[in-house]
Amino acid sequence: MSFALEAEGLTKTYGAVRALDDLTLKIPAGGVFGVLGPNGAGKSTLFRIAMGLVRPTSGVARLSGSPAGHASSLRQVGAMIETPRYPPYLTARDALKMLALQSGARDVDIDGWLDRVGLSGAADRKTSTYSVGMKQRLGLAAVFFTRPTLAILDEPTSGMDPAGIQEIRELIRRLAAEEGATIILASHQLDEVRRVCDRVAILAKGRLVAEGPVETLAGRKPALRLVASPVAQVLEILGEQAAADGPDAVLAQIERHEAPALIRALVGAGVDIHEARWREADLESAYLDILQAKEPADAR
Amino acid sequence: MLADAISAERFRLLKDRGTLFWGVLFAPIAGLALNIGGELFARSLMKGAPPIPVDLVGRMVKALADGASPVVGLFVLILSTAVLAGDYRWETWRLLTPRNGRVNLLLAKLATVAGAVAISLVLYALAAALGGLFSAATSGGALVAYRGSAGVDLLGTFAISWLQLMVLAALSALVGVVTRSTMGALIVGLVFAAVQSIVASQLHEPSLKALAIPAFSGDLLKTVLLTPRSVVDEPAPWALALGFLAAWLAGLTAAALALFQRQDLTRE
Repeated sequence: MSFALEAEGLTKTYGAVRALDDLTLKIPAGGVFGVLGPNGAGKSTLFRIAMGLVRPTSGVARLSGSPAGHASSLRQVGAMIETPRYPPYLTARDALKMLALQSGARDVDIDGWLDRVGLSGAADRKTSTYSVGMKQRLGLAAVFFTRPTLAILDEPTSGMDPAGIQEIRELIRRLAAEEGATIILASHQLDEVRRVCDRVAILAKGRLVAEGPVETLAGRKPALRLVASPVAQVLEILGEQAAADGPDAVLAQIERHEAPALIRALVGAGVDIHEARWREADLESAYLDILQAKEPADAR
Repeated sequence: MLADAISAERFRLLKDRGTLFWGVLFAPIAGLALNIGGELFARSLMKGAPPIPVDLVGRMVKALADGASPVVGLFVLILSTAVLAGDYRWETWRLLTPRNGRVNLLLAKLATVAGAVAISLVLYALAAALGGLFSAATSGGALVAYRGSAGVDLLGTFAISWLQLMVLAALSALVGVVTRSTMGALIVGLVFAAVQSIVASQLHEPSLKALAIPAFSGDLLKTVLLTPRSVVDEPAPWALALGFLAAWLAGLTAAALALFQRQDLTRE
């Protein structure tokens, strides 16, 4: 298996503060990988080390097998670390042109990328007049326009309103599908991570506390919640696949493709179905449980 | 690659109109305005005075020789701090460092400043020549030939002043990296330029200590260049002076590069 980002025993201290504490983490190449954690968990420090902005106190980090921060590894990477900033006297078009020149990228379709991120109408406005959301969108163009094999997005929706978050989320999903790059996404938006990521790692106080597929970490697969009567008959038909969820509902642990047949069978057996809804994996509860479980361990 | 970084920096400076105006164009414009204003003022005081012959090359050589003064140095510092330390101010290193090597990035900035300083010096000299033409046109003074080797004197004074100004630029690179502040780099550079100029003006003997002051070395080199050999009593240590100036530039640049390569860009 090849890894997009590997950290081995990575430690970074700032004076008395340990931003990363012997972190070992391997992020596989391909798909969208989420990195979760509260403020100060070490997410941005990990990314800054990966991009060569910060030197680790000890340990090593590698990007696609090459030492992190080296020109050879960075050539394949695009990154948006925290809120993107630009020289205020540059327009969006100038900013992308300057970055293309800096990267040595000759054939970059700057107008095409500005169009893809919805900024073609503001391409000649100075970035100092941009809203946070527009800066984030320009940042996404700056990440992807050199066609990297790995994109690191650190809080790409921070400071944005719900509509902007939705817009950026859609954009990330679209770019991930169209560009085929591995995406590492750090976010406080658990819903965003659940919807966009295949796997996640949870960091706390500079350490890895959990890692795995979103559904596994969430503790259960999506389940079909049926509000039906009589409940007892539904439980009898489903057997071990079902569990009562309150007095008038049942949670059926089935695969999505089994749902139509199950509903037909239940209706055929004389069950009245008032509501059928998929309950998604609950990443938020799992995330909070994991962090709370970590707290007492730290206190000891 | 370094060439990519230089292209990007040059493109960026051309878009930064404020820095271009104050750092590159203002000194020549102010020089021209002072030339013309001074000429008009002198004419108003000395009505009926005979026309004064105008030596255009001599005016350019003098302008180039004065091009490393603290006043001109201030505008070069505005340019160099904006280019060399601006990314700390705008927090934009995180945008650049993943795209090119750190050594390339800082060297590209210095190369861009070097080019802009050269252009500013040339414009400063041309402004002096334009002022001379204005003087000749308004006073009726004849244009006279330069008494000396025009090419050598023009190139020599240009090169020495450029070297002196680049020492200031390299200093602002180092202070910019250390303080992560454009204002810090500007103030330290300005104080350095003023103090070295004052100290150099008090020293007369070319001792090693005196030669270690860039302003003294620069002045000595210009004196050697522009003084006719027939009036020189004993040879001045011009090679040592040139060596000191080059060492300042190389040392400050190397120190800035070494620090920048190891610097954590946590919050630029």
